[in-house]
Amino acid sequence: MNTLLLILTIPFIFGVIMFLMPLQYNVLKKSHIFLNLIVSGVLLNAVGKVVHEEELSLFNHFFFLDSLGAIFLSLIAITGLLVNIYATTYMKWELEDGHIDLRGVKNYFALSFIFTWTMSLSVICNNMAFMWAAIEATTLASVFLVAVKKDKKSTESGYKYIVLCSIGLAFALYATILLYAAANGKVDGEAMLYTNLLANAENIDTMALKLVFIFALIGFGTKAGLAPTHTWLPDVHAEGPAPTSALLSGVLLKCAMLGLIRYYAIVANGVGLEFVQMIMLVSGTLTLFIAAFFLIRQHNVKRMFAYHSIAHMGVIAFGLGVSGTIGFFAALFHCAAHSFTKALAFCSTGNIAKIYGTKDMTKMGSMIRIAPVTAVLFGIAICSLVGVPGFAIFVSEFLIFKAAALDGQYLLMAIFAIALAIIFIADFSHFFLATFGKVEGKVVHNSEMKLSENLPLLALAFLIIAFGVWQFESFTFLLDESVKTIIKQ
Amino acid sequence: MANILDIVTVLMMGTSFAVFGLRKYKYSIGAYALQTLLLVIVFLTLHFKYGSHELLVWAITAFVVKVICVPYYLFRLVKKLGLVVEDEPVGGFFISPVVALSFSLAIAMMFYKVFIHFSLFQDVLPLYAASFVFMMGIFGFILRNSFIKQILSYCLFENGIHLSLALMAYNSHELVEIGILTDAVFAVLIMGILAKRFYATYESLDTSKAINLKG
Repeated sequence: MNTLLLILTIPFIFGVIMFLMPLQYNVLKKSHIFLNLIVSGVLLNAVGKVVHEEELSLFNHFFFLDSLGAIFLSLIAITGLLVNIYATTYMKWELEDGHIDLRGVKNYFALSFIFTWTMSLSVICNNMAFMWAAIEATTLASVFLVAVKKDKKSTESGYKYIVLCSIGLAFALYATILLYAAANGKVDGEAMLYTNLLANAENIDTMALKLVFIFALIGFGTKAGLAPTHTWLPDVHAEGPAPTSALLSGVLLKCAMLGLIRYYAIVANGVGLEFVQMIMLVSGTLTLFIAAFFLIRQHNVKRMFAYHSIAHMGVIAFGLGVSGTIGFFAALFHCAAHSFTKALAFCSTGNIAKIYGTKDMTKMGSMIRIAPVTAVLFGIAICSLVGVPGFAIFVSEFLIFKAAALDGQYLLMAIFAIALAIIFIADFSHFFLATFGKVEGKVVHNSEMKLSENLPLLALAFLIIAFGVWQFESFTFLLDESVKTIIKQ
Repeated sequence: MANILDIVTVLMMGTSFAVFGLRKYKYSIGAYALQTLLLVIVFLTLHFKYGSHELLVWAITAFVVKVICVPYYLFRLVKKLGLVVEDEPVGGFFISPVVALSFSLAIAMMFYKVFIHFSLFQDVLPLYAASFVFMMGIFGFILRNSFIKQILSYCLFENGIHLSLALMAYNSHELVEIGILTDAVFAVLIMGILAKRFYATYESLDTSKAINLKG
């Protein structure tokens, strides 16, 4: 059976199966873990085929998997699996505390498969309009993963999420329609296919391409959390359950970024790199500084990480803006590094909220004594987020500096360094507040989580360090291939 | 044929103003249903004018889904919540339609001049109307506080996009239209569920009350 056909069907079928499961927590938990293992296996199998240079396409190239898509599909497979395993622990706590009932847990697990399905769909679409439809579907599939509770805050976050993302994405659809109209008759074959558009980009009207990119930036940039249309993100990431926030930040934002990168590639090849780089630099710098400004003021641990998501989307945009292949390589590497890091960060907030019964960091303290493993995991996430050497994010941020330095763009280096320094100071002050010193509030759960409960978080921490110190050949191959296809030498 | 197309698209612009401006939900939803019916007529007219079979299929699906199903769902939603008149919009009932109308006309004037260069069908007024209806939807989101009016605004800009798609990309793969339409239907359904929740928690559909998440 075609691998892409499996990706198109299996997560959806598993979602339906989960909806039909009996209302017994142990059955739901085991099924969720087992079915997620299968989904990840299917996705990684497809990635493996791309690494072995096998061409994957379906329905006359309507769907395909290239090296660029394979990077993001591997994030859905790995980050998605680990977060979904952690979700079984988190939901058990929510169930015990009476925040959710068993039917709610079942629906949550089922919807997470539909969410995975829509994200995978967006990654394997060669048809640009269908990719848009898949990215819009990710919003629809995840609304009730965010608005799990029926209180005011939860409802408000769900409302803001669907309304703001839908408005933003509408512009991306306009970009798609305009791109098709401008390319129709000027490219070989179907003008809606990414591969055809990329191969014939130089034949498309340059003014149209410029307008297309601005519309695409507004649309996919809204979904990816780029300023100034990022406003939905802090509310949604802070209010949803910890595993949802981890999935949104770790995987979903990257899928939206992939959508933008596909437009970036077409426009860069049609108009020239300078235009897209300039736009991405402006967007990245604006995003970085707005996020850094709000980060300093945060005391809610999840809101702090939400602003971090915005900041790191700014880093990716900045990477796409600094010169040439190294910057692009760094941006793609950052997508993976941030995915693992942010998944760990948000999952650790699940543990932290369990310990203190609050997300307010001013009421925490002494975490290193109460739950040392959680404190270390939280510390690893923070260290990676601020770019400490030895952790994954350091690699991409260092490469961005290198790209700017090699091109003699010292002003850009300074701007980037200032933004990162603000984030560094904000993060470590918050980290020390929560981890050391006296407990200012109360401790609800005065012990460490079980090893089995922390296992997915430990795996994420391992990945963060491994990607920080080791060069994975197959992953580097995917990055190199992606750079080659997008920035033609 | 060209005259029919122009008349129908001008009527579409008029109905988008009605959807935006009418205070009674019942009338506003009715205006949306009428606008979608006009959209179906545009599809049929383009089908007969240019012989594009795809648009005949689009007309049939749009009639079933958007003229019948979506308005029926919205009528039921309003009836279930017992709502009659919307909450006061940003800037009041008079200012907000004036702002939306003037800005939508101006922005559509800019958009259509670009789109006309690349459009598959070179019909000026329909292209202008597509951008206008889209922008009225966007301004509906910005200026109207009622959740139901925001759902209708979503429907409006979706109609604008649908018309643009028909004029500029009607011959793209048939799955594209299915994908976009499916998204639109699910978006309305989900927003409807959220509107019910919103009403249950806030005892109102006034979205300006949603200020619990800040910072």
